[in-house]
Order: sequence, then C-alpha cells, then structure tokens
Amino acid sequence: MFKLAYKALIDRKIRSVLTILGITVGSAIILSLIASSAGLNAGIAGNIAKTGANILTIRNAGGFFAAGSTNTYQLSQQDVTYLKSIPGVTSAYPYYSYGANINNGGESIQASVVAIDLVALPALYQGLTLAEGSIPLLGDTTSAAIGWGIANPVSGTPIGLHQMVSMSISGIKGSKGAVSYAVLASGILAQYGTALFANIDDTIYISFQAGSILSKSPYFTGIYVIVDNTDDVATVQNTIETYYSNNVRVISPGQILSSIQGITASLTVFLGSIGAVSLFVATVGIVNTMYVSVMERTREIGILKAIGYRPKQIMGMFLAEAALTGVIGGVCGLALGYALSFLMGGMLAGSTFAGRFGGGGGGGGATIVPVFSTELIVFSLTFPVLLATVAGLYPAWRASRMNAVVALKYE
Amino acid sequence: MVVATRSAPAVQTVDVTKVYRIGHTGYPALRGINIKIERGEFVAIMGPSGSGKSTLLNLIGALDRPTSGRVIIDGVDLKKLDEDRLSLLRNRKLGFVYQSFNLIQRLSSVENVEMPLISRGIPEKTRKAKSLKMLSAVGLHGKGSKRPAELSGGEQQRVAIARALVTEPALIIADEPTGNLDSKTTREVVDQFIQVNKGFGTTILIVTHNSEIATMTQRVISLKDGLVDKEEYIQRLDSYSTA
Repeated sequence: MFKLAYKALIDRKIRSVLTILGITVGSAIILSLIASSAGLNAGIAGNIAKTGANILTIRNAGGFFAAGSTNTYQLSQQDVTYLKSIPGVTSAYPYYSYGANINNGGESIQASVVAIDLVALPALYQGLTLAEGSIPLLGDTTSAAIGWGIANPVSGTPIGLHQMVSMSISGIKGSKGAVSYAVLASGILAQYGTALFANIDDTIYISFQAGSILSKSPYFTGIYVIVDNTDDVATVQNTIETYYSNNVRVISPGQILSSIQGITASLTVFLGSIGAVSLFVATVGIVNTMYVSVMERTREIGILKAIGYRPKQIMGMFLAEAALTGVIGGVCGLALGYALSFLMGGMLAGSTFAGRFGGGGGGGGATIVPVFSTELIVFSLTFPVLLATVAGLYPAWRASRMNAVVALKYE
Repeated sequence: MVVATRSAPAVQTVDVTKVYRIGHTGYPALRGINIKIERGEFVAIMGPSGSGKSTLLNLIGALDRPTSGRVIIDGVDLKKLDEDRLSLLRNRKLGFVYQSFNLIQRLSSVENVEMPLISRGIPEKTRKAKSLKMLSAVGLHGKGSKRPAELSGGEQQRVAIARALVTEPALIIADEPTGNLDSKTTREVVDQFIQVNKGFGTTILIVTHNSEIATMTQRVISLKDGLVDKEEYIQRLDSYSTA
C-alpha cells in the first residue's frame, strides 16, 4: 500500500514536494521553538542553580525588581548584624558593585567590579575555582581576583597573573564621573559563565575593604545571606520580609526561576501558536492537494473499483499517501527544526534577556543549547503524520464513495 | 464470502430493468432483459448506440444495480450483496477489459497486472511471479517493466487482458476491447480471447460493434431499445486470423 502511495507521490513530484515543504516548515518551527525554549529554561535553571538554592540576596527596594520605587532605605552594617542573628542563617556578606571600564593596552574591556569578603565566593558560586594565583587576603586593597573573560579578552592582549589592571569605575555614589583605580591580578578565576545577575567571567572581585574605600559610604549595594538548610529558605525569607516590610527586596533563586520560567512558558506558547498556524495552513494544503489528486485520478479509482478494491481499501490507499506525506514532512521537519533550533538558540543567546539569565558554560557570554527530549522527537515525528492523515480523511472518503461507472467514464 | 453454485450458469439476468433519472424524468435504458450464459461460453452483445449494451455490461459486472429484476453471477444473486461483497465478487469472479485499456499509467505492466492480487493480500513475490507468467501467456514476455506509454495499443490491451486473467475469473467482460485497435492488432487480441476461452474455459462476454468479431463467438445477443432483439448461435472458427 505504501509502495503504491510512494509511486503516486513521485508521479506528482512538484505538488508533493510543495505539500511536504509546508509540513516540514510548520513542524520545524514548532520543534525549534520548543527545543530552544526548553534549552533556555534549562540554561536558566542551571544558571540559577550555580548560585545555590540556599542563598538569598537582599537589595534596596529600588532597582531592577522594583522599577519606579521611591524607597530610600539603605543597607548598612546594622542590617548585616540583624540578618546574621536570624535563626538558620549561617552568614551574611555585604557587597558593593560597580560598572568598570578596563584599559588593556589601548583596548577597552567592559566589566563589573564586586567588592566582597572574597572567602565567600566558593559558597556563593558553586564550583567556582581559581585557574591560577590566589584570592586576595582580607584587607588587601591592592589585589583582585579577575574573571576568566577579562584575563582572556576577545580582542587585545590577555591579562596575566600579577599584571596591573587599570580601570575607570563608574556608579560610585557621591563621585562625579568615573574613578580611576588599579589593582594587581593576584588570582585568575576559572571559566565559569553567568550566574543569576552576574557574568562571573567578566567580573573583577576586590576585597570588601577596597570597596569601602572606593565608596566612602557605610551603605552597601546588597547583602548575600547564606541559609544553613535549603528547607529553611522560605522561613528566613518570610522573617526578613516581615521585618523590613517594603524597605528591602529579598530575592531567592527559586523565586527568580519560577517567574522567569513563567515568562519563557508564555513565550513558548506564543511562538508555538505561530508554528501551529503554519502547520494548520500546511494541513489545509494537504486537504487541497489530496482533493485535487482524487479528482484527477477519478478514472483510476474507477479501475480500482472494477478490479475489486473495496471502499475501505481505496480509502486506505489515499490515506497512506497522506500519511506518507506526513512521514516525509515530519522527518524533514525534524532535521530542519534541529538546525533551526541551534540558529534560534544563537539568536536568543544574543538577546538581553538570555544574556542576563541564559545558560552558562561559555566564557564569552550566554549560550543556549536546545533540548531535544525523547517526547519532543516522538511528537515532532508523529504529529505531522497524524495531521496529514486527518487532512487526507475527507478526500480519501470521497474517493472510496465514488460511483464506479461514472468514474470509469471520467475523462 | 461469495459462494458459487457449481451447476449455475455463469450469468443470468431475470427481468432486468434500468431507468436513469435526470430530475423528475426517467430514461429507461433496459426494459426487461432475460439472458442466460453458460459456463465456458463466448458470447457477443451487439446493438446500436443507446440500445443498452454498456448498461447491461455494468449490471453484469456488478458495477451498478438494476432498477428491478435480478442479476445472478455464478449462482450469486447480486441483489443480496453489499458494496464490500460486490467488490469481493468483482475481484474473485470477474475480469474487465475496456476499449481504452484503463491501465494505470504510472505503474509498469507487471504492476498493473498485480493490482487485483494486491487487493487480495497476496504476498509480493507470489503475485509478481504470477503476473509475469500471465504476461508471458499473452505474449508480453520481457515487457513487464515497460510502462503503458511505452507499449503499442495492442500490447496495452494484452496487459489489460493479463490483468483480467490473473485472478482466474469465471467471467471476462470486455467492452469494445478492439475499438481503439487497427485490424491486425484486432485480430491478435480476438485470438487472445479465443485462446483464453478455449485454454482456460473462461466465460467471455464481449460487447462489440464489429460483426466480424461477433462471428468469432458462439452466440450473438442483439439488443435494441433496451430489449433483447434476437439471439443467434454461431459455429465459430478456431482463430480469427484464419477467418
């Protein structure tokens, strides 16, 4: 039956190719969108997991997560003391963060500067290690641990261990314009990628004391709170939120993960709908092609009836043709969708959203690796076949019900 | 299951009428046909255009149903059969040969001959062997891979005959099988029918306008205005080519 169906498709090459193309494109769009979106989700989950589920970030109420807020509360050492006193909290690390522009032999490198007690880094970023050198000692205001991306810039000379790093730091409260600052690269961090809000590879870590000197302020950018047991994170978060009311924003990785996944899920549904529309158009195309094919082959149907083909056998022949169209379209769609998803992953990785939250692994920025689950592959192969078969139902039924005498006289 | 009665005639029609309706007007094509064709007979049906030849052939071929009366093929009353069983009967007991050959152009000769066997669910190897054998029997040895367009009219008609014969039917129905052929090829095709009739004992019912062909059969049934006008028994020759 499928051999006959194949011959019938070959007999109408161009029309068959165009019909298959419709299914291929629709199927490929859906597949690539779902795979890329799953890749983005996995990247985000992996990214957030790097920061540890037991870490809470306390920030002033204004800023990224509270656009338009007029709250002026500022975090200070008093808050660190309070946070450390909460039952279940292991420690609290205040930090300053700034934007910086590194002058590397005439080449400019954009970077972030974070001033924090550097012993906290392994606890904050799981798996973060030193590639070479050592972490600056407590109170050392002249040394820094630099990210892998800064040590190995895309263009320009690599920055080696014990090399002086000169930079212009912006965003320091009370300072007019950028502040020049130079540190010795005492340690170079291993390639790490992004984690939650920070691209670790593009960050220079200096001691908390160096940050205090630069800021000339008792107020911190934020405080990392490490909770002893992951199960207590929600309780601790609740305690902090109750204590501060709306004065601070408490950010937990799980919370971020669920809200971002909510956004990507909506995005997937939206983009998937576009793919579904194109697949629907392809389905209408199959109905049209099959219907025209039935009309053109009226005489052939008459012959089949005369030589004893039963109505259900004739229906089966045309359904086999439709199904075969779906099989070829599905397989081609899988191949095209596979290629397209990597292209799409690249495009998404280039976006601000994915750049901030996307998967880690790369030193030069976020990369999104599409995720092809077994279910997705099975779905992308069976759905076009199912759709094509359903599309072929009416034309096949018409063929099976044709009057043999009339069909044999058809010119 | 289509069960035949061994002693029954190959074809019997009892008071068969057929009225075509266009809107509220009825046009009678057959007005009470009673014929009986015994097994192994070679019968010609003749008559002017509009006499009801093709209509009768369609009814005997189980392709259409009469308005009234009964059509009995190999002892099976077609009235009692549903669409599926009629298809089964066509596949098991009947073979068709048409004026315009009615071959499927995209398929090779052997694939065309295989078609009725595919419907029966016969395995590919068996049906291919059987079809090639049948093509050889009709003089088309080595032409199994040719498509209809690559064959002459006579050869195409022989493919159609092979397709009709491959299921070993009780009755072959041929509607103007030589209508599109030149005189030489006509002779070859008619000889083919004679050989089939004599060799396999297959009952053959042929509609023709050609009185010379009709004289090659055992009996000629003439129709006129939807009725049997006359029946004539003939002492046929063994070969049309020697006539």
